[in-house]
Amino acid sequence: MIEINGLTKIYKLSAKKKKELKTNKDVKTAVSDLSLTAKPGEITGLLGPNGAGKTTTMRCVATLLSPTKGDIKVCGYDTVKDAQKVRDSICFLTNEIKLDEHFTVDYLFTFFGRLKNLDEKTIEARKKELFDTFNMNDFKDKKIEELSTGMKQKASIVVNLVNDPEVVIFDEPTSGLDIVTARVVLDYLKKLRAEGKTVIISTHIMPEAEKLCDKVAMIIGGRKVIEGTIPEVLEKTQTGDLEDAFFKLFMENKESEKEEE
Amino acid sequence: MNKISLIIKKELFRVFSDRKLIFSLYILPVLIMFAIYGIMGKMIGSMEKDITEHTAIVTVVDATEELKSAIDFSGFSGNANINYIDSAAYETDKDTIVDNIKHGKADLCVIVPKNFDEQVEDYVNGGSTLPNLEVSFNDSENYSSQAYSMFTNSVLGTYKNLLLGKRYGDVRMLEAMSVTTVILTKDEQSNSQFMKMLLPYMVVLMLFAGVMSVGVDAIAGEKERGTLSSMLISPVKRSEIAIGKIVSMAILSSISAAVTTVSMLGAFIFMGSSGGFAAMSGGVSFSPLQIIELLLIMLSLVILYVGLIALIAVYSPNTKAASSIISPLYPLIIIMGMLTMFRTGKETPTIHYAVPVYGNALAISDICSNELSLLNFFISFACTLIIGIVITVLVTKAFNDEKLMFNA
Repeated sequence: MIEINGLTKIYKLSAKKKKELKTNKDVKTAVSDLSLTAKPGEITGLLGPNGAGKTTTMRCVATLLSPTKGDIKVCGYDTVKDAQKVRDSICFLTNEIKLDEHFTVDYLFTFFGRLKNLDEKTIEARKKELFDTFNMNDFKDKKIEELSTGMKQKASIVVNLVNDPEVVIFDEPTSGLDIVTARVVLDYLKKLRAEGKTVIISTHIMPEAEKLCDKVAMIIGGRKVIEGTIPEVLEKTQTGDLEDAFFKLFMENKESEKEEE
Repeated sequence: MNKISLIIKKELFRVFSDRKLIFSLYILPVLIMFAIYGIMGKMIGSMEKDITEHTAIVTVVDATEELKSAIDFSGFSGNANINYIDSAAYETDKDTIVDNIKHGKADLCVIVPKNFDEQVEDYVNGGSTLPNLEVSFNDSENYSSQAYSMFTNSVLGTYKNLLLGKRYGDVRMLEAMSVTTVILTKDEQSNSQFMKMLLPYMVVLMLFAGVMSVGVDAIAGEKERGTLSSMLISPVKRSEIAIGKIVSMAILSSISAAVTTVSMLGAFIFMGSSGGFAAMSGGVSFSPLQIIELLLIMLSLVILYVGLIALIAVYSPNTKAASSIISPLYPLIIIMGMLTMFRTGKETPTIHYAVPVYGNALAISDICSNELSLLNFFISFACTLIIGIVITVLVTKAFNDEKLMFNA
């Protein structure tokens, strides 16, 4: 279970960042007063354009960033006060976090298993299960640098799932993957849902969200503009599909996004 | 502790399973040392041998029988091709002879004046005019310089003594006093001057180079590549990750420094065995206490360096930025190491031993000459260690800073 209560994240801008963002403001509000609950046995989707605040929200949930205001609880633990306990029960997958290319998949799997307090027997059992599921057996002794982009992504997923976490946070799960690997990943997320895990993903691919998510929250300009099951969102926006719903909400909130920028 | 050792093992495995890294960190420096100093030693040795074995080409104009005897008696003629000519022939070939010496084709020309026998006779009989010889050579040519040196020392030395003997009867009459020289060296001071000069410089510099080569990549490099984050989202204390990184950096850089220093010494000894460096590298011995002192000084220095490099790396967004900050430190460390090379006998104030790096170099220098007092050792060790620990604490705190770790 993930409970986000009034999350606000404000970044102080360095002179270099101000120049990059072409702004005179000293701070940037990446996420503003966002509340959301992701339940076990559900896949919750964070939808929004690039720079909307999806990744910042996920980073806060994953304990990598501290909220400026508000709080986040993961499996009942506060992400700031009990960060280590939160990290023990989550898996955070993002393109920004990479595996050291020098090591083999097998070595990293064992290393992170030990780092996440697993005994050797459990590590071996998890290794067999995940390597079979993701067809990694032929690649387990290859160094990460020798793998293709899709295989690297799969290796990252396999290594991060070593501790069978209760909560899976996945930033852009199919980004950079070929159609076959993307299907394997999406199927595994469904499997995790069936096992009662809490899954939260971010995406801007609306058909993917439509197929996968039990519940979605759209974020525009750092603010949550809608939350609910897909039928609820379609009903509230009076649209036929999620893409239309997104564009309708995007146009309505465009001004506020500009203001936030 | 278990997590720290896991991280240390991973970091060490990272390096020791990478052939390229092993080569660049541990094998290349050895090869370079042996290549540079070994080749240099061999070349100096062969150059000296070549000069010694060279047959000097010498022209002697109007040589007297007595001078010819002195040349043969001194052994100079054994390694010289001597062309005795008269002044008429010299006048004809003068330009060629001078030109040959200038261009290294000949080595020496000795001109004996026509009335040389008379000058000698006059001198032997107590006259006031000194017999004069003109000797021409080229001081920019090794062969020519060597020939000049050999001629003046052996031939003229022998000849002068002969004439002095004739004039005064006994050459020893000319000695005002005799001196008996006794060289008194403390046993503990037997470590050579060479070691005292070079070891502090080598230790402070090589340790820094070792830390620099592994430290920047271990933190700034991993941050840049996004691989550090995979550990930061694991259920491990950030301080454990920082300590794991720092300890592995210290181990790797110590090995690197040890390999480089030993290979440098090995190269010098190798060089010494082949040339005139034997005296420089000989006479090195350390007592067990000195070795412990040296290791502790090196340990404190490693902690300081690792902390410093780690702090810079953690505050830098990438390796390029980290390297650009670290680069100016390199000449500073070189200067600190070199300052100890030019110490006089004047006692160094204890406060100097408290200066990190410089104080350590002073302490190592004193270890080499067995002059390190316990107080100076303690000051040097403790001050560097404390500063190193303070910096290390700052690094572990920085690992908790989201702005530094994730450029947030």
